[in-house]
Amino acid sequence: MDVERIRELIELMKENDLSEVRIVDGETRLLLRRGVPAGSMPMMQFTPVVQNPPGQLPASNAASAGGSPPAGHEVSEDSHLSSISSPMVGTFYAAAAPDAEAYVRVGDRIRADTVVCIVEAMKVMNEIKAEVSGVIEKIMVENGQPVEFGQPMFMIRPD
Amino acid sequence: MFNRILIANRGEIALRIIRACKDLGIETVAVYSEADRKASYLHLADHAICIGKASPADSYLNIPRIISAAEIANVEAIHPGYGFLAENAHFAEVCRSCKIEFIGPTVEAMQLLGDKVAAKKLAAKASIATVPGSEDAVENEEEAAGLANKIGYPVIIKAAAGGGGRGMRIAHNEANLRSSFKSAKNEAETAFKDGTLYLEKYVEKPRHVEVQVLGDHHGNIIHLWERDCTLQRRHQKLVEETPCPAIDDRTRDQICRAAVKLAKAAKYTSAGTFEFLVDKKKDFYFIEANTRIQVEHPITEMITGIDLVKWQIRIASGQELDLRQRDVPRRGVSIECRINAEDPSKNFTPSPGKIEFYIPAGGQGVRLDTHVYGGYEISPYYDSLVGKLIVHQPTRDEAIATMRRALQEFQIGPIKTTIPLYLEIFSNKDFLRGKVDTGFIDRM
Repeated sequence: MDVERIRELIELMKENDLSEVRIVDGETRLLLRRGVPAGSMPMMQFTPVVQNPPGQLPASNAASAGGSPPAGHEVSEDSHLSSISSPMVGTFYAAAAPDAEAYVRVGDRIRADTVVCIVEAMKVMNEIKAEVSGVIEKIMVENGQPVEFGQPMFMIRPD
Repeated sequence: MFNRILIANRGEIALRIIRACKDLGIETVAVYSEADRKASYLHLADHAICIGKASPADSYLNIPRIISAAEIANVEAIHPGYGFLAENAHFAEVCRSCKIEFIGPTVEAMQLLGDKVAAKKLAAKASIATVPGSEDAVENEEEAAGLANKIGYPVIIKAAAGGGGRGMRIAHNEANLRSSFKSAKNEAETAFKDGTLYLEKYVEKPRHVEVQVLGDHHGNIIHLWERDCTLQRRHQKLVEETPCPAIDDRTRDQICRAAVKLAKAAKYTSAGTFEFLVDKKKDFYFIEANTRIQVEHPITEMITGIDLVKWQIRIASGQELDLRQRDVPRRGVSIECRINAEDPSKNFTPSPGKIEFYIPAGGQGVRLDTHVYGGYEISPYYDSLVGKLIVHQPTRDEAIATMRRALQEFQIGPIKTTIPLYLEIFSNKDFLRGKVDTGFIDRM
């Protein structure tokens, strides 16, 4: 699939006011999306490993490689940060309501009982507590993003 | 037709369903526990979502997490596979109430047929013979003993809520019965969260013959012939074959029609299996129904050429069966061996671990349904099924020869598997003559 072809497709999409085009051509897969269609949810996606040498295990997309991480926390390899990961499958929300302020921001100091976010699962808004005290270094997910079990949401510099 | 389906299962059946979906142009969403994170088949799905820790309660049995994954992935249907939540009517209900289709029968049919006592009553109403036994649950040893005296020993205690041999005890006399009643109840409580037991006459040296049916939402129900699953160990099936070598065409026809009659009485839809015991006189008795796709479904697919998983999906999406009963062919003989990661020389001790070398069997007449490969790590958290080795040939002798050849070709190690056991079975004179009963393996 060359750049000219993709440019043509984009023009066609604009002309015909299409919001999403998905093309599969042999082993090539192309997804073109204009703007964010109402009601659509970003997907959890594994990069498909098409050529897999025999005996080799495919790389994992998620945080831990084999073995279960301790409940909700992981120590990152190259720094002294630990993560707060999602204890359930659902949708991450940074604040209690669409117009409310985010529970936490980068730089905030948190305690074990600080509510850091909401993960909505099956229409239930679950307040997620930090379970660790420290300072928020990074927020790994966006408001409204689907999260899977064990997915890191915040990186913390623990006390 | 559905655009996107979530597969609420793991291992070989998850892969089976992913393949059927891909053939039909349906997007797939796989779910996995942390123990299955590295499984290769996850990469064949369009999307994969981690739903919890290794234990089934935290993952594959966890309804809120699975539904949550289905919602964030925006799927239209869930295929439950077999085991786990496949026969959980509550799960089916939750799916549908969340506007997600459950690829399986209606909640009513699952509840009716899932309760073995209710299923027996249904059979009696449809004039289908059942094994003499308790009309309802048996509460205690006293009741059991009284009933057993009426039916006549030997009797078998069974769990109403499940199978796989759990909560099952055979009693040859009253003392046996009284002592095994409590332990059977405990086992059933642990395995199925339901200690309800019932009692039946124990049919000695029976053959286990089950019939595959498919029903759609337009009232059509057909059978796809029978499977003989007599070779079992501790009530777990090891070898399945079709057609049943011990019955004539007339009996075959009668059993298959009885299954369809029962399916119609239950207003059954999707794929299902009706199990019967066949005694030495070739009389058959209905024992239970399985409201799911079964492990051994491939042998039916081989002799009929009909893809059962695809039909489950089509039926669930509202399509009508375009097959009439007379269109269901029966060609040749197909046999399946369930290969488990167990050491047959050490009383079938589980043998989990990494598969270091792996050379699969293949060739004309061989089908291998497996999720494993060289480098795959068999974890101790789930069942020990490594793969299903299936053969299909024009005659039983040829099918057996091919199975023997395939078993010899198949190299897996250093974990132990039950391949050596099957090599023995497929050289055994009685098996070769088609003369076995459910006690065969235990006697070997």
